Amino acid sequence: MNLRTLLGCTAAAAFAAVAAQAEVTVLGWPGGPEETALRAVTEIYNAQPGLAEENRVELLFTSRDGFFDKLQVDLAAGSTAFDVNLIATYSIGRYAPFMEPITLSDQAGTVFGDTVLSTMQFGGAQYGVPTDLSLHFLYFRQDLIDALMADPAAVTLYGDIAEQYLGERLAPKAPGEWTWQDFAANALYFSQSVNPASPTRYGTVIQMKNLLFNMMVFHSWPRSYGANWMDADGNITIDSPAYRTALEMAKMLYDAGATPPDSTSYEYAEANAAFSSGQVAAMIQWNAAASELMAAQPTTGTFAPPAGPEGRFTHIHGLGLGLNAAAENKDGAIAFLQWMSTEEAALAYARAGGAPGLATATAAQLAAERPDLVQVGEYASTYGFVMNGGTSENALSVYEAQAKEFTGYWAGTQDLDTAMANITAAMTDLLQ
Amino acid sequence: MNSPRRENAVLAAPLVLFLLALLGFPVMLSVVYGLSETTFQTLTRPRFVGLDNFARVLGDDGFWQAAWFSLRFGVITAVLQCALGLFLAVYLAPLIRRHGWMVAVLIIPMIVAPAMMGLMYRLVLHEFAGPVPHYLYAWFNYSPPFLNAANVFTTVVVAEVLQWTPFAFLLFLTAYQAIPQEVREAAAVDGTRPWRMFWRIELPLMLPTAFVALFIRFIDGFRVFDNIYTLVGAGPGGVTTSMSIYIYEAFLRQGDIGRAMAAAILLFGAAFTLLTLAQRLMRRAA
Amino acid sequence: MRIGTTLRWLVFGIAAFVMNFPVLATLITALKAPGEVSRNPSLWIEEPTFANFATVLTISDRLNVYHYLWNSTVAALIGAVLPVIVAFPIAWAMARRGVGRALLFPLVVNLRALPLIIFAIPLYLMYAAAGLLDTRLGLGLILAIVNLPLALMLLVNAVAEIPLELEEAARMDGARTPRLLWRIVLPLCRPALITTFVFGFITAWNEFLFGLMLTTQRAVPMTVGASFFFATSGGGVQWGVAAAVMIVAALPPLALGLVMYRRIAGSMVAGAVKG
Repeated sequence: MNLRTLLGCTAAAAFAAVAAQAEVTVLGWPGGPEETALRAVTEIYNAQPGLAEENRVELLFTSRDGFFDKLQVDLAAGSTAFDVNLIATYSIGRYAPFMEPITLSDQAGTVFGDTVLSTMQFGGAQYGVPTDLSLHFLYFRQDLIDALMADPAAVTLYGDIAEQYLGERLAPKAPGEWTWQDFAANALYFSQSVNPASPTRYGTVIQMKNLLFNMMVFHSWPRSYGANWMDADGNITIDSPAYRTALEMAKMLYDAGATPPDSTSYEYAEANAAFSSGQVAAMIQWNAAASELMAAQPTTGTFAPPAGPEGRFTHIHGLGLGLNAAAENKDGAIAFLQWMSTEEAALAYARAGGAPGLATATAAQLAAERPDLVQVGEYASTYGFVMNGGTSENALSVYEAQAKEFTGYWAGTQDLDTAMANITAAMTDLLQ
Repeated sequence: MNSPRRENAVLAAPLVLFLLALLGFPVMLSVVYGLSETTFQTLTRPRFVGLDNFARVLGDDGFWQAAWFSLRFGVITAVLQCALGLFLAVYLAPLIRRHGWMVAVLIIPMIVAPAMMGLMYRLVLHEFAGPVPHYLYAWFNYSPPFLNAANVFTTVVVAEVLQWTPFAFLLFLTAYQAIPQEVREAAAVDGTRPWRMFWRIELPLMLPTAFVALFIRFIDGFRVFDNIYTLVGAGPGGVTTSMSIYIYEAFLRQGDIGRAMAAAILLFGAAFTLLTLAQRLMRRAA
Repeated sequence: MRIGTTLRWLVFGIAAFVMNFPVLATLITALKAPGEVSRNPSLWIEEPTFANFATVLTISDRLNVYHYLWNSTVAALIGAVLPVIVAFPIAWAMARRGVGRALLFPLVVNLRALPLIIFAIPLYLMYAAAGLLDTRLGLGLILAIVNLPLALMLLVNAVAEIPLELEEAARMDGARTPRLLWRIVLPLCRPALITTFVFGFITAWNEFLFGLMLTTQRAVPMTVGASFFFATSGGGVQWGVAAAVMIVAALPPLALGLVMYRRIAGSMVAGAVKG
């Protein structure tokens, strides 16, 4: 290799390096429909005529395991490896100090609706464009419930069981009308440890692993009884009859064998495997599992979680993309984020497999291809809630503490009063 | 001119310089963080609080729970691994002499990444997707809940023992094979029976190996992270939180950097003291 | 005698099967078609298929298993060879002259007890300043630190094993220390050096946390890259592909270990005797 070639190569390499730095790098959520959808919309964006070379979007995906840990370290150290990064409602508070608020396009309000936009807000500022909405469905085996309701003897047995365990004689209903009492009765009836003739081994699966995400799955339950993390004055109100009722009901189901005994180590993957095997009658699970569960058990139906005395609620949080304060190409990044909040981008994202929370009118446009999005959008605006304090800086740590104390109670390693005392102390520390 | 002192300095230089270059700044910073109140937001502006973090750590039930877990786990797994390893090494030695490939088969488990092993166990023990409960249900119509609060400690101990016994096995095998044949022949001439041969002659010669094996396995068990974390995480109510998991969670999950560093410093101090004591004891015994 | 031998084979068979069960089960899962994995948890494969391995071994938009394997190989090599180079001189000085016995030796050995992840942030900052972030060299350096404690222990013991007479003889022939180390001590330590290398390579290969924190794209090792394969379009864990990638990830160290296991054995005991 002669000198000229060497110089040429060096120059080319240097140029390539410079060019690479002048792109907009977007760090997305790896390995799921979110990635597929993001790739699809990025292609559309990059194909726009008149897009400057240095504003082309490059995608970056890291490991799913420990994603948020790594993001935390990267942001705290002022990494310039990406301009735009993924954020989630429950962690905006933690990352906000390292990010910059942005203004979205004019269409954003119409496309997403206020509730969904608020999932990307913190301290009154908009930190990102919402890309995917997560909430919970009640998944149930329609065939089993139909069979139950058609059999008078079974209905009697169902009533007996309800009376014995819940103190109230109940009759099977359509899941769309369920209260948590109905949910519990159904879970007990379909468990072989309570009803040896049950067609399934377990009536439900409650994800009880010491994991913060399981607390999100759980807390629609106490919320429907009126619970909240804090009241309007900022007092910690976790030790409440609402939370206690819900926790005790879950424990009762665990002790009765209505959920697998290994539930204390179950999270998303295990619960889905259980339901997919056909041995579970109903469960609360993230909406993202819909395609997997329906593929495995085609008679699966979905609805919003059961209602309590204070109404029907589902936890919602969003995934979205926001601006890294240390970004090198801020203008390009902002342009991309604004484009992502337009109707064109949102529809393309949805068509490519993403699950954005869309306002009813927007979602209606996709009714044929993505009926589940209509459902998601509807539930989000009608039943969606965020706990008071759920987007604060230490929200994640609150979930962590709850996970530890509540799973300890469920597993029998401590009693409810101890758990409540501990969590109140922890949350006071974290939220006040 | 080769004065021993200068020479020693030259010999020590690579190690010392390497350590200083790579760990010098981190250690310093960790001590600073240990003595300050820091979060990810205030990384560059730690607030000095003296021994506050240490007090908080020592007063934290979770810390003692984790310390107790690590201690129990370390001792039990080390003893079990060494006992099993010793048994396998001595009992299978005659076969191995003729079929060396047996060693290869037996050391496979310790070559797999502990994090992967944890995931493999997670699959294997899963009530619906794993083979173990499948066959237990088929044969006994019952499968114990391996991962509930009552059984989880046993399960992780068994998983660790099954993965790392090969390490102890390898150590003991080599020690056993290294015993000079003359020693055995002399004893055989005297009419020593096999059990006595083992108990009175071979085992004492392997005692130093046993110490090293126990020590290394204890340290590894004490600081276990990967396979427990991927198998069960921190456990319901934190029952499977080892020291490393405690520090990891304080550091990355709760963002309580000061507490994590304080705990790590305490951990290091404890290990250091233990090792020095152990060395003194071994020297006195030898 | 025959009963004795049969019994020994039986014990071997049971031990080998029980200890290797997870690996076997994972291999079997890797050979099952996706639908079958959730349906059929037994060890009997209804329709064996290599589809999962094909998925893993195909280079796609984001997943390039060969890239991760190469990164792991380079980083693990650095992480296995460097400790030997760095620790050998002082190991000799420690064994023969007691240099650093009181302080340096316990200090280094105890690093093994410490979850090194606590140094993540300062290391990250240091690496960012030195341009070592997301490089194989950067990862290799920290892997070398991880392997240092065991390397030092094994090498000190290996040197102590060498009969003093050999060194004294060389001294009397006028050899100075560098020559002594190079000509006499090093060759005699070969088994220990090989063992240290093999264990170091395996440990370095299996490291996850540092691989996660210190790399983003260019230097992603296999342990981290493996987790990329775990998710499906549904966001759940696709056990078939996950199993296949775990097998592929385990192959290089396995190959190394199985080739070298005879050599490994030699120095482990040397390490033990002179604790």
